[in-house]
Amino acid sequence: MAQAQVPVTVLTGYLGAGKTTLLNRILSEQHGKKYAVIVNEFGELGVDNDLVVNADEEVFEMNNGCICCTVRGDLIRIIEGLMKRKEKFDGILVETTGLADPGPVAQTFFTDDDVKAATRLDAIVTVVDAKHFLGQLEQGSEALQQIAFADVIVLNKLDLVDATDLAKVEAKIKAINPYARVHKTEKSKVELDAILDKGAFDLNRILVFEPDFLEHGHDHNHEEEVKSLSITSDRAVDPDKFQKWMGALLQIKGGDIFRSKGILAIDGAPKRYVYQGVHMMMDAGWGTPWKKDEKRASKLVFIGRDLDGDNLKRGFEDCLK
Amino acid sequence: MKLDLGNPAWVTTLPATRAVASDAPVAACAFSSNGATVGFGLGDGQVRLLSADVKQPASAVAEPVHKGAVLSLIGDPAGDGFVSSGDDGRLLRLALDGSATEIANQKGKWIDKLAAHRATGAVAASVGKMALVVDKAGEIKEFGPHPSTVAGLDFSKDGGRIAAAHYGGVTVWSIGAVTLPPKPLRWTGSHVALKWSTDGKFIATGTQENDIHVWRVAQSTDMRMQGYPAKVKSLSWSADARWLYTSSQPVFTAWPFAGKGPEGKPPLQFGEEGAGLITVVAAHPTAEYVAGGYDSGELQVGDIKTRRSAVLKMSDDSSITCLAWSPEGTHLAAGTDDGKMLLIDLRR
Repeated sequence: MAQAQVPVTVLTGYLGAGKTTLLNRILSEQHGKKYAVIVNEFGELGVDNDLVVNADEEVFEMNNGCICCTVRGDLIRIIEGLMKRKEKFDGILVETTGLADPGPVAQTFFTDDDVKAATRLDAIVTVVDAKHFLGQLEQGSEALQQIAFADVIVLNKLDLVDATDLAKVEAKIKAINPYARVHKTEKSKVELDAILDKGAFDLNRILVFEPDFLEHGHDHNHEEEVKSLSITSDRAVDPDKFQKWMGALLQIKGGDIFRSKGILAIDGAPKRYVYQGVHMMMDAGWGTPWKKDEKRASKLVFIGRDLDGDNLKRGFEDCLK
Repeated sequence: MKLDLGNPAWVTTLPATRAVASDAPVAACAFSSNGATVGFGLGDGQVRLLSADVKQPASAVAEPVHKGAVLSLIGDPAGDGFVSSGDDGRLLRLALDGSATEIANQKGKWIDKLAAHRATGAVAASVGKMALVVDKAGEIKEFGPHPSTVAGLDFSKDGGRIAAAHYGGVTVWSIGAVTLPPKPLRWTGSHVALKWSTDGKFIATGTQENDIHVWRVAQSTDMRMQGYPAKVKSLSWSADARWLYTSSQPVFTAWPFAGKGPEGKPPLQFGEEGAGLITVVAAHPTAEYVAGGYDSGELQVGDIKTRRSAVLKMSDDSSITCLAWSPEGTHLAAGTDDGKMLLIDLRR
């Protein structure tokens, strides 16, 4: 039975940031749409929906020698079970625990064939508590990872901070991940079209989602442990060399590269080559054709830990014609 | 029971089939222990019961017994009815009039795997990280917690032990009066299906990495079989325990377990190449036959002695989700993800 893949939105964020409030807002405002909600067993607040599945976040390492290939087996099982139901869903919302690393959730949608056939990861939405965010960064790597992985950031509890503190929080978020869309809110009050149906993992929409994606980027956050980095070039890319370089890079550094995206001007190809990945897992294909008089340029973006900008730049330059 | 798959007349004569349709996916199917009734568990919470006699009028008893989807259904080993489980956290004993008695209720959890042991009348069920065993008298014992949610469950041949599959391998529990410490059988990764061999000597699992893993229970030694293009979610041991049939290939695939076992040997593959991959495989309960349902909806029956197969149902773009043989092996039941329920009488 051929049916459209159900979009999955992952809601992440530190304890008390307002994830459940956002979840309940989506459910109460999306009239006429049906959602399956997967929440963690230790949720703080009740969720008001017909179908709420309690998940115990069961992360396991794939038995393929790749240490960063961790996935959520409970999600695989739950999605398989949901597909047995008669009623179909307009979407699935997954709420993670406050201390969850978003990596395994995201990788589940790259790894499992049954999950890929039934669903598509739409976006990772991170809710941030503006008042406590800077303190949470000190407490461990979770708050940092949740920002680094985000496609959309809901910067919440604005009523609890003054302008100076807010500016600090915003600067910090930008320093870690300037590619996520930030929406400033109180009580998780955000327009739903800002967080749903974003197609953030859709290769065809990488450009739509980030209109400034091809603008010249610069690496200006040397002091951050987790940061983003972009590399651009106007020269054509040799596809074989690129594949070899990227393969080796992810093999060695995949654990530290949280997200990567790219648009490549392949030598002699009429279309853009687009890819995006989570840790070592990658999805790639041909995008829209280059227009006749369009300047062909390539751009790669990495978000990760301890990224060596000079080394990455040199590596990419070796792949150019 | 004899299936004459080599005889063109047998192959081209359509078997007596009863087909019933629903608009909900069929999640599970099973025969009652006496073979008189077939049950189908559906994605809308209903269980449909039909007489196994295809000449009888199709008076289906349909009761919405579960609030969400039925996740598993087995013939009640302690009676002529059925035992069902669902994503509403209920484990139910179903009588033939459709009435249900609650065995367990674990609100908020899913009960998704069931196993039955005919001789002792016991039922095993997975509830999250725990395995429950319900004996003939209705007494419930709990085993676990396991390192993760239990994804496969089966009884030993004598019914004295159960094996539960989870992350990192399998745990074997003795469930009788004498309780021995649980025995771990380890292999890294997520194990998603489990079947104990019909002679009790081997436990086989399907893994997340598209492999199957088999342990010799007495020795705790293990082996790994690779080369599948998809996860092997369906495993079935032949009645004589000489073969382990596996899903996820376009033809019947059987690993040889007679004599020294399958180490260093390729699996036996036979039959007509079907449309797509086999999703469910079910060995005949007494003879050398095997049924295979495909992701294309095709249904075949094969004979490992003659290595022939015959198509019982053509592909139609709905996946076969479940298969069950009647206890004598005279009837075959199948369900699909678009709600088709089939009952085939294979006696000609």
